[in-house]
Amino acid sequence: MATNILSIGQSALTAAQVGINTTGHNIANASTPGYNRQVVVQSAALAQNFGFGFLGQGTQVSTVQRVYSEHLATQVQNAQSGKTGLDTYYAQIRQINDMMADPTAGVSPALQDFFASVQNLSNNPASVPARQSVLSTAESLAARVQGMDSRLTEIEQGINSQVLSSVSVINTYAQEIATLNDAIGKAQRASGQPPNDLLDKRDQLVLELNKEVKATVVKQGDGDYNVFIGNGQPLVVGTRASPLVAVTSPTNAQRLEVGYRASNGSTVVVGDAGFVGGKLGGLLQFRSETLNAAQNALGRVAIGLASTFNAQHQAGFDLAGVAGGSFFNQAAPVVGASTTNTGTASIGASITSAGQLTTSDYHLSYDGTQYTVTRLSDNTATNYPSLPQTVDGVQISLTGGAPAAGDYFLIRPTAKGAAGFSVALTDPADIAAASAPGAVGNNTNALALAALQTANTLAGGSVTYQGAYGQMVSQIGNKTRELEVTSAAATNLLEQATVTLQSESGVNLDEEATNLLRYQQAYQAAAKVMQIAQDLFNALLTIGR
Amino acid sequence: MRISTLQLYDAGAARIGDVQSALAKTQQQIATGRKMLSPSDDPVAAARALEVAQSQSINQQYAANRVQVKNTLGQVDGALSSVSDALLGIRDALVSVGNPSLSDNERGFIATELSSRFQALLGLANTRDAQGNYLFSGFQSATVPFVETATGATYQGDAGQQLVQVDSTRRMAVSDTGQNIFQGGGQDVFQTLKDMVTLLQTPVVTPADRAALTAGTATGLADIDKAINAVLTVRASVGTRMQEIDSLDDAGATRDVQYKAILSEIQDLDYTQALTQQSRQQLTLEAAQQSFVKMASLSLFNFLR
Repeated sequence: MATNILSIGQSALTAAQVGINTTGHNIANASTPGYNRQVVVQSAALAQNFGFGFLGQGTQVSTVQRVYSEHLATQVQNAQSGKTGLDTYYAQIRQINDMMADPTAGVSPALQDFFASVQNLSNNPASVPARQSVLSTAESLAARVQGMDSRLTEIEQGINSQVLSSVSVINTYAQEIATLNDAIGKAQRASGQPPNDLLDKRDQLVLELNKEVKATVVKQGDGDYNVFIGNGQPLVVGTRASPLVAVTSPTNAQRLEVGYRASNGSTVVVGDAGFVGGKLGGLLQFRSETLNAAQNALGRVAIGLASTFNAQHQAGFDLAGVAGGSFFNQAAPVVGASTTNTGTASIGASITSAGQLTTSDYHLSYDGTQYTVTRLSDNTATNYPSLPQTVDGVQISLTGGAPAAGDYFLIRPTAKGAAGFSVALTDPADIAAASAPGAVGNNTNALALAALQTANTLAGGSVTYQGAYGQMVSQIGNKTRELEVTSAAATNLLEQATVTLQSESGVNLDEEATNLLRYQQAYQAAAKVMQIAQDLFNALLTIGR
Repeated sequence: MRISTLQLYDAGAARIGDVQSALAKTQQQIATGRKMLSPSDDPVAAARALEVAQSQSINQQYAANRVQVKNTLGQVDGALSSVSDALLGIRDALVSVGNPSLSDNERGFIATELSSRFQALLGLANTRDAQGNYLFSGFQSATVPFVETATGATYQGDAGQQLVQVDSTRRMAVSDTGQNIFQGGGQDVFQTLKDMVTLLQTPVVTPADRAALTAGTATGLADIDKAINAVLTVRASVGTRMQEIDSLDDAGATRDVQYKAILSEIQDLDYTQALTQQSRQQLTLEAAQQSFVKMASLSLFNFLR
């Protein structure tokens, strides 16, 4: 019996040791990200029947398990990808918002200065200083527009490098998750017990992955995590990761897009809308929704100004009595033929009516019999049996060769409008202020040029230059505000989900202090039991003396 | 509810961070004096501010245009005032020709006076502004309007009238063509003067000569009267325009005040409100910091010795 007491004491001692060990582990990892507190699952050892009844045989530790709720963890993951996506979008759009914040630095004051100098010219049509001032303020307006555009281009290049790094981070996580699937499987099969810390590490990786892109986990029967992103694109299946690739857009060499390697070895581009949430989703959404639109809107103001101002300028005559030329240089639309095209067609685009331009890009495709032009801002598609065709003030024509079925092109009418906006005139005497040749005091055309400032020339004759620019500022402002609010809401959501998860799985140091006391006392009590067993045995031995 | 220790710290830090960034924003508003720090603070107002600023800038440009118009019209009026003085002098001289006791010699003196009046008028008709542009040559502002000929003077300008945008809907003529002033309405003051000089230099011998002199002088007087009328008409119109400029100035100044008020309302910060908000946020921050420190220092481990 005494040996039995000793082994009961010993089992209690072991259990208390495991308890202290686990408590210590919890305390040590109280601030480890992704750590779920662990608890000892203890049960009474199987009792032995002695005839007079069952006698307990001490205790046993059945397992150490982590306190983890898959449901709560999934909620946190979803909230995390939503929040990071919105935060990323917000951080990007704020750059544009801040750029437009200073009322003295935007395009607006430069536009006003330019037209003020045109008015001054109309007061002194023969004055060379007044003419020079028109050229100088035009130069400074062009520099302001180009400067804003180059800032937007810089942001786009920044997105390329961030997409690249995000893709590489996603691939690293995917590889690590695949490796952990393997390690966890092995550990579990070998011991039949859950490898808690490895499981924590894998769940934390899934959470980190959700910061980059929204990822859905489907748990396999054997405990492996299969991870899917985008439109159900498998990223990790069992122990195999399928990496994403960042590739140059087929229709725009300045842009990186995200795709994956298909089974036949080719790269399939997923498209900006294919990824939601996370840093990558936020970046791509910002690029397609806001950045392009802003650059196009600025380009449209520049093209509209150049086109209408040039038209009026060409109606007049300069100091030497020669008919006016182009005052501004106007940028042409950009056409990008897909690198995957098999036909020989080259497509040209030119602006026929600046007043009809939108801020959208257009997708042109050929299916073997007809052309389809899709306005990307609202996905309005129109079919045409042949080219040339004029769409929203842009004439699209076939300038050579022939297309093959499946060929496509990206037409961006206003994308380079701001970058290509510059002053064509260099000689102040070339400004056409007069409405008739040979009259240096004739200011009629200068008056007409000045009147363009307040004329509704853009967007189908509904807004002024300033109005179109104001629309852009207001749109950016509205979207930024919207993101400010939704991103704050997403932060709250994540916080609530995390609080719920943490209240279940997080370590509370006061609780651990209590456990420490509990197991310490259990250890001391078990030791006492063993001491008594020793005493009993000693008492037995003294009988024989 | 169970609270995890990690969450306790995270939440504490997050709250303090929130209040801090709100405080920083208020501080920035106070430092710049602007309510709107970026378009996202009030997108509608941001676009409206751009519009109003453009209206204000255009309004100010019209005011600058009006100053220019006033200067030019002042010069035109000054020149025309001298022209009408000269014409009145010529008229007096012609009236004195009617005195039958004048000798050929004395009429010769008057002819000389008229010749020099001719030069003075020609000079006035060829007046230039501060930039060196001729006032009365229409659009040909670099061309001398009148060149003397044997029988008077030829007009070298054109019929163009320079207009200036003085208000959103008003374009005002700042010049009147020399032809209209000096050679319009069936008279040509230069030709009349040349004719008169020739007439007065012709000796009166016969009664027929006398009759020709009387008739010629009468025609001349009538022509000069027409010329005086033409000049006065133009001067009256110049005066009216100057008056109109003054009233447009008043209206423009009122609008400027209105634009400024609107812009101020959209953009400017209410300091009282902002400073009150700042002290409130400061209080909240201090409270958040203190309560966090207190809560963080509470631990069961403090009592385990």
